[in-house]
Amino acid sequence: MRTIVSLEDVSLHYHSKNGETPAVSHLNLEVFQGEFLSIVGPSGCGKSSLLSMLSGLLKPSSGTISIDGEIGYMLQKDHLLEWRTVKENALLGLEIKGMLTPENTSYVEHLLEQYGLGAFMEQYPSQLSGGMRQRVALIRTLAIHPDILLLDEPFSALDYQTRLTVSDEIGSIIRKEKKTAILVSHDISEAISLSDRVVVFSARPATIKNIHTIELSIGEHSPMQTREAPEFREYFNRIWKELDIHVESEKTTTS
Amino acid sequence: MWNQKKPPQVDISKEQSLFLDRIEKRKHRILWIQIALLVSFFVLWEVAAICRWIDPFIFSQPTRMFQSAIAMIQDGTLFYHVFTTLWETVVGFLLGTLLGTLIAVLLWWNPFVCDVLEPYLVVLNALPKTALAPIIIVWIGNNQKSIIAVALFTSVIVTIMNVLTGFLQIDQEKIKLIQVFGGSKMQTLKKVVFPANIPCILNALKINVGLSFVGVIVGEFLVAQAGLGFLIVYGSQVFKLDWVMLSVIVLAILAACMYQSIALFEKFLLRKRHL
Repeated sequence: MRTIVSLEDVSLHYHSKNGETPAVSHLNLEVFQGEFLSIVGPSGCGKSSLLSMLSGLLKPSSGTISIDGEIGYMLQKDHLLEWRTVKENALLGLEIKGMLTPENTSYVEHLLEQYGLGAFMEQYPSQLSGGMRQRVALIRTLAIHPDILLLDEPFSALDYQTRLTVSDEIGSIIRKEKKTAILVSHDISEAISLSDRVVVFSARPATIKNIHTIELSIGEHSPMQTREAPEFREYFNRIWKELDIHVESEKTTTS
Repeated sequence: MWNQKKPPQVDISKEQSLFLDRIEKRKHRILWIQIALLVSFFVLWEVAAICRWIDPFIFSQPTRMFQSAIAMIQDGTLFYHVFTTLWETVVGFLLGTLLGTLIAVLLWWNPFVCDVLEPYLVVLNALPKTALAPIIIVWIGNNQKSIIAVALFTSVIVTIMNVLTGFLQIDQEKIKLIQVFGGSKMQTLKKVVFPANIPCILNALKINVGLSFVGVIVGEFLVAQAGLGFLIVYGSQVFKLDWVMLSVIVLAILAACMYQSIALFEKFLLRKRHL
């Protein structure tokens, strides 16, 4: 397997008037081409900081990040621009990158068609459901032909039921388009159901606590079906415990 | 797999139609009372003047105002003054909004300059701008340019403050969206910050109509050559209170029309842009 992203001894510190906060500490991680990797960790542990570094928005304080490919970043909310049509929204990234060629435009149209938005191309985002909006956001990210997708809790703004379907949909789309994906989440089930590997982060400053390779006995499956696999619960409990230990220790320090 | 939106309900129940009826009736009642209030105000004014409860020489009266309106329409003076005021106001608030928005863009662009200038903006915002009218007239001259400058000045600071606040309140995640695509600051401005703030700029336009009128009338008081402001000042000096009252009423109608047309324009533009 080809390594597409590698982190070597990466640390990140935030500076504010009140002092210096270590967000990420001596992180080593390799991501392979075509895999779906999830990162779970307690909230505020520096998961999002890691994505910001991978996307180049933040520079690591020390260590090296090497990325072999184009990055596509999907944010927590869809952030569709209300004054643009669905198609214009999907073309935003291409427009910014100056890649608005006829081929790319028809690729976006093709994606919209394929993922059930063909009839909505000339509509405005206010006319779409939460799940549809999230799909447009994904297509906007896919439009620039990224090799690696960064997903920053892209389902957390949705209600639970929509969330299940949307994560299922998005997961299927990403697999179908054969992209490498790095998902940040605090939802353990979501992480297990979507991923090939789940990385568990410690509380801030983030370090890797464990990496679980998800191997299920049910063969070809959608993320939703994964939840029915007998191993699912086992993975869940193990990851839960790894996260829980921290909550316990936090309780004792605060009380 | 892909969920679609449900079509809206069409059939209306009896209770619903009763409810809608009540809303409709209330709306009508309000409108009729509003008209009645206006009519009775003028009738009362007229009666009070006829019965000499008030002196029509200093309070004027609706019929006398109507007569002088007819006379001034016939000799064209009313339209001349109305158009003078209208022109100055429109130029004033358009320039004020344009310049204010431009300065707000520059301040958004450079947060350091913004922080440096902040206390000055706050003081200028609190200062009654009309206090500067005499100075502006001394500097620019006793002419229409000064009046427009006063009108511009009354609206420009508020515009800067409002539009800048709008710019700064933009969701940081939306800016991040542009940045993750490798977008520049100019692209952030063009694709997100500016379009998202069109409602804010239109709102500034609405506020500026009123402010610009204040500037223009004060300017006309001082320059005293033409316009409704001039008519008010001149009329009061020569005790032609009919002119004064007429001008005030025309001014009220003018301001209302202007505000309404801006509001309509705003509605049209927002609907067009799906905001």
